[in-house]
Amino acid sequence: MKFDWSYFWQSLLAPSPQFLNGLALTIIISVVAMALAFLLGLVIALMGRSRFLPFKLFASLYIWVIRGTPLLVQLVIIYTGFAAAGLFRFEDVDLFGAIIKGAVQAAIVGLMLNESAYISEIVRSGLESVDRGQNEAALSLGMTPMHAMRKIIVPQAIRTMVPPLGNSFNGLMKSTSILSIIGVSEMFQVGSTMSASTFKVFEIYIVVALYYLLLTTVWTFIQTAIENTLNVRAGLPPAESVFKRLFGVRSRKQQTTSTPALQPADIA
Amino acid sequence: MTMYTEPAPTERGPIVQAVNVCKSFGDKRILTDVNLEVARGEVVVMVGPSGAGKTTMLRTLNGLEAIDSGEIRVNGELLGQRVNKQGKLVERSARDLARQRANIGFVFQHFNLFPHMSVLENIWHAVVEVKHESKSEAVAYARELLGRVGLADKADARTRSLSGGQQQRVAIARALAMRPALMLFDEPTSALDPEMVGEVLAVMRDLANAGMTMIIVSHEMGFTREVADRVVVMDAGRIIESGPPAQVFATPQHERTRQFLSNVLA
Repeated sequence: MKFDWSYFWQSLLAPSPQFLNGLALTIIISVVAMALAFLLGLVIALMGRSRFLPFKLFASLYIWVIRGTPLLVQLVIIYTGFAAAGLFRFEDVDLFGAIIKGAVQAAIVGLMLNESAYISEIVRSGLESVDRGQNEAALSLGMTPMHAMRKIIVPQAIRTMVPPLGNSFNGLMKSTSILSIIGVSEMFQVGSTMSASTFKVFEIYIVVALYYLLLTTVWTFIQTAIENTLNVRAGLPPAESVFKRLFGVRSRKQQTTSTPALQPADIA
Repeated sequence: MTMYTEPAPTERGPIVQAVNVCKSFGDKRILTDVNLEVARGEVVVMVGPSGAGKTTMLRTLNGLEAIDSGEIRVNGELLGQRVNKQGKLVERSARDLARQRANIGFVFQHFNLFPHMSVLENIWHAVVEVKHESKSEAVAYARELLGRVGLADKADARTRSLSGGQQQRVAIARALAMRPALMLFDEPTSALDPEMVGEVLAVMRDLANAGMTMIIVSHEMGFTREVADRVVVMDAGRIIESGPPAQVFATPQHERTRQFLSNVLA
């Protein structure tokens, strides 16, 4: 086997500025897209629960279409397809002195739309996991349905929503690798360019893989901390340890006491 | 010492007037032409076999169940409905119904305390957020009520750490904090271990003695005999008999009442 160890270590420990820019872009796109997707997902979930029929229909149609088509195809339609048809073109914009490339905007919009459909299902099941009696108690105290939702239902639903939302975010960070198809210079794209110019294909992609692993691992720590904070606030035992989570060693006892199985559909 | 502060009476006359209330769930008829009038300060206990419609009737009285036909007035005001300009009955807005509910306390079989709040916040939350009273006064009143239900030391506890009986007493304090004109109790001791029933009934007895208007769905016949001004017997979605407990228990008029009483008093 041919493996250039010195090149590998150098790329891993002292990555080039382009690679670091790619890494930063991956993180920024992931975080922004996730935040927007959460808001949109919340809106779609609330529309799905609405008594107003057109809202309900729109929500189910949206979820059906978005979950039923691949992210890659959605991205290409949004960025290339719309522009080719003369419908809409993502132009570079200047945001507080930083140039945001059209492709980056399309990437964020695409990931947001895609992720929001999954998130709306997570939100829906989270809201449904709260006992109906909680809502009735809130109403009986004179709260409006909206007030009951904000102060009684959502704070309790959040706790069940965090683990599947965390999984979503984990998937989203990895999904950014396909953004190279619309020319976003995120980490994977930078890696491809480097491998094309140096022919160190194996070394480069191993480094890329390790950086994705680093991102998702750091996220696992953050997610565990969030869950623990919420559990402490709700007076529940702490979530299982990060190491058990990472390496899949889960004791039986913890499986039975962990939060209800709210498994999100696998992210495409 | 009284358990609660009497709200200024908005009106004389009965506090609850239900006329020809009907309710179905799908094809299943739950309530048929139920008429119920409750006077201020009266303690009414609804009894009857399970499935008779007692709980559904109670839930219609604060709009947790919408009725299919008939009329419910609380404090003389139509509940959940209003008469529009054309003189037709229409549904009230959510905000308007919420305002009406704020005046009616409801105690659930399964307590339904808010687990993400401390015991004390459970009690003051709606007073501050719904009635917009000052937080310091609401908290002080919450502490006072907590003391009256015998749980002064549990103010900062988590609701999950309380026993069923303690949770139900907190739930009663939470409802009382809104200074309701009327308290509804839906089988408040049915989910409790037997040794905890007494502590909840004691709180309810104090409340009745203090003059609170109460409508209670209960299977506790001893308590009913002692505390009720009137017993209402329901069967198959109708009120079949109503009267003072001594009369209903000693000389039931209806055959179904006799059967029911012989089952529960046996």
